[in-house]
Amino acid sequence: MSNMMAQTINTLAVTDAQTVNAALLVSAILFACGLIGFLSRRNMIIMFLCTELMFQAAALAMIAFGNIHHDISGQVFVIFILTVAAAEAALALGLVVLLYRRRETLDSEAWSELRETA
Amino acid sequence: MTENLRDRGMDCALYSSYSSPIATVTLLEAAPAVSPALALTVAAAISAAGLAMLMQPGRRGLRLAGTVIGLAGFAMLMVEVLKRATAGAPEGGFPPVFPVIFGFLAMVGAVRMITSPRPVFAALYFILVVIATAGMFLLLGAEFMAFALVIVYAGAILITYMFVLMLAQQSPVAGEGDAWYDRVPREAISAVIVGFVMLATLGDAYFSPAAQRFRDDTSIVSARAGEQAAWQRLESMPKLLLETARKAEPKTAAVVSTNFDELSNRSKNATLKVTLDDGTTKDLAMDAALLPENSRQVGVDLVSRYPAGLEIAGVVLLMALFGAVILARKQIELGEDERRGIAGMRRLTVDGEAGGSR
Repeated sequence: MSNMMAQTINTLAVTDAQTVNAALLVSAILFACGLIGFLSRRNMIIMFLCTELMFQAAALAMIAFGNIHHDISGQVFVIFILTVAAAEAALALGLVVLLYRRRETLDSEAWSELRETA
Repeated sequence: MTENLRDRGMDCALYSSYSSPIATVTLLEAAPAVSPALALTVAAAISAAGLAMLMQPGRRGLRLAGTVIGLAGFAMLMVEVLKRATAGAPEGGFPPVFPVIFGFLAMVGAVRMITSPRPVFAALYFILVVIATAGMFLLLGAEFMAFALVIVYAGAILITYMFVLMLAQQSPVAGEGDAWYDRVPREAISAVIVGFVMLATLGDAYFSPAAQRFRDDTSIVSARAGEQAAWQRLESMPKLLLETARKAEPKTAAVVSTNFDELSNRSKNATLKVTLDDGTTKDLAMDAALLPENSRQVGVDLVSRYPAGLEIAGVVLLMALFGAVILARKQIELGEDERRGIAGMRRLTVDGEAGGSR
């Protein structure tokens, strides 16, 4: 029984082209979803959450490509992505709280006078 | 070298004769009229149409239809993508169940995240995406990053988001439900079109036959090169190398010399010349399975190849800390006069007071 399980795990651990393809597809979908969310949501917190989603997609693509090249650097770069995402979250949320205190709303439209005049 | 290449070429031929598992080829047969080159774009368009319908607030029937269409589009995308992967699949033909499950979970989480009218639920769905992605990382052999992702993202970053949501969320007015700016998306159709273009472009870039062939070739060719690079990195870390040698031969006293050059020949292993406790020397053939585990390899790679990146990451985090502190400080409205006083400049008004005592 345990032998069979070990064999199954081995089969799963063998990263075949199908897993890589599925990962790349998911990364593309996640990135597109993040982009759509960033463009269409009005809540500022959700907009920043969508940028995190795009980071996530980039990390997944990085690991998938690193896997193809049998190079561990792909995983190392995900550490850097994580760092940047953490820094971005800290700054962005600080900004959101600041903006919320000014206007008492999370709606990004509240700041639409910042755009250029049409 | 040429012999080596021919060897690889034979490998490619061997792999390409492998047909994809039956379980993955079902839905695409339902749409035989679509040419393969367009199949991905059409599937992406169907998913986008489903998503656009999902984003219409308040219309239950439309959203239900959108769910069905979106799921069909996702299934078509997945099947088409899996069908294009022919190289390197294990001989047993085990259908790729887990990538599909994790991919499905990630997709559902992402879509619900951008369509859910409640910010807290959106954040929770993002945690689902993170966990599904971590599962994907596991399948791709990145164990350390999978756990780091769950700990850092789901454990730290998302909690920060939750805090801010709780802090900044307006208490809902009775009978009104969610805030209108959470319910009504802005320019949903245009946003979905942009997303569709993105997805179609990425799909074409990732899964065009040329890209697929390149990926398959790279994967086969660089398997040994990757092992060689891993051994060479280990060479610069004598203690770790000794530890690894002891895994093959427990009585190893010291590593005398290394030879990783023959790794490019696929029948050869990495070899280490070591001295044993009793003074004799011995050649050890090192198997790839003896390489340090994933987390250790990531650490070795991080500090040996990207020390500057590590430093810069530290600086980025420090700057983010400063920035967050400055942003979060209580803002005091100061007039022009007080600002000049703080800056040590001469005051504009003449009221006889010493600067800054107000």
